[in-house]
Amino acid sequence: MAALSNEQKERYKRQIAVVGEDGQEKIGKTRLLIAGAGGLGNTAALFAAMAGFGSIRIIDPDRIEETNLNRQLLYREADIGRPKADTAAKALHAMNSSIDVEPVTAAIGTTPVRDLIRGIDVVIDGLDNYPARFLLADAAWKCGIPFIHGAVEGFYGQVCTIIPKISPCLRCIVPNPPPVRETPIIGVTTGIIGCVQVTEAIKLATGSGIPTSDHLWLWDGSRQKSDRLKIERIPACHICGKDEYQIRAGERMS
Amino acid sequence: MKVQVKAFATFREVMDSQFDLDFLQGATIRTLLEDLIERYDGVGELMFASPGTLRDFVNILKNGRNIHFLGGLDTPLDDGDVIALFPPVAGG
Repeated sequence: MAALSNEQKERYKRQIAVVGEDGQEKIGKTRLLIAGAGGLGNTAALFAAMAGFGSIRIIDPDRIEETNLNRQLLYREADIGRPKADTAAKALHAMNSSIDVEPVTAAIGTTPVRDLIRGIDVVIDGLDNYPARFLLADAAWKCGIPFIHGAVEGFYGQVCTIIPKISPCLRCIVPNPPPVRETPIIGVTTGIIGCVQVTEAIKLATGSGIPTSDHLWLWDGSRQKSDRLKIERIPACHICGKDEYQIRAGERMS
Repeated sequence: MKVQVKAFATFREVMDSQFDLDFLQGATIRTLLEDLIERYDGVGELMFASPGTLRDFVNILKNGRNIHFLGGLDTPLDDGDVIALFPPVAGG
């Protein structure tokens, strides 16, 4: 494994104090797919770029609208009308020019999902609907790629790190999803949840800490309260039911 | 018997976050929901599409297991159960 340059040691000095040089090298070699360049995707991409994830592919089909600006922190007023993925990629490159950022302007489902996740180590879910989430999460599961699920509404948010063959899959965690609609969102909620998702990615990349892989973590900003919700695999789930299901010793949380 | 109820996300806007309820033997998830409808204004409208039919997005977990894969609304309650009422959020 290539050692960190002196410039990288300086840039990531505060972080290396936490994860070590070895951990920083692992972060640098981790390739992320950030699905969605909305509120969650913006926050996750920004903190992932700052943390030094070496390769970030970011996908979104949309152009920037004025209503995005309460939460999508990579965009400025002058960006209204521009493609989200390209604009996000430019902002990320300006933040950290030493990483590779690949923008993809497409919707999940219009681009073959397996092509999207080819060469990817970790997927961060910044999508805004469950049909697209299930498409991507199913493919990630089948390819053995961790999928860090996140979603928000109002002051509320949820995160679960789905590790194939260890966690229940997304369909087990959310068997009855809400309908697709325009969701009310307080901007800071996407900030909190996006940051938690990158925290999960850092843990996966470095092997440190305990990922949120056997329960759903729920955030309630209106009461400043968080909870862990243990969710069991659905018997005979057509995605994860065929795999031997186990929780790693020491990771079971109440 | 005593059952602990935990409500999450937007369900907290119509009921308490966490509370205990007492039931007689033979009570089911349906009994619990009927109790909640009497106890809290807005629960019926929020959780039911029509009388007796839950809205699609209402996830009810008995000790971590979705009642959809147990006995649905007729899933029996047992002493010490933790019943989670969970509406997944979707936005990004």
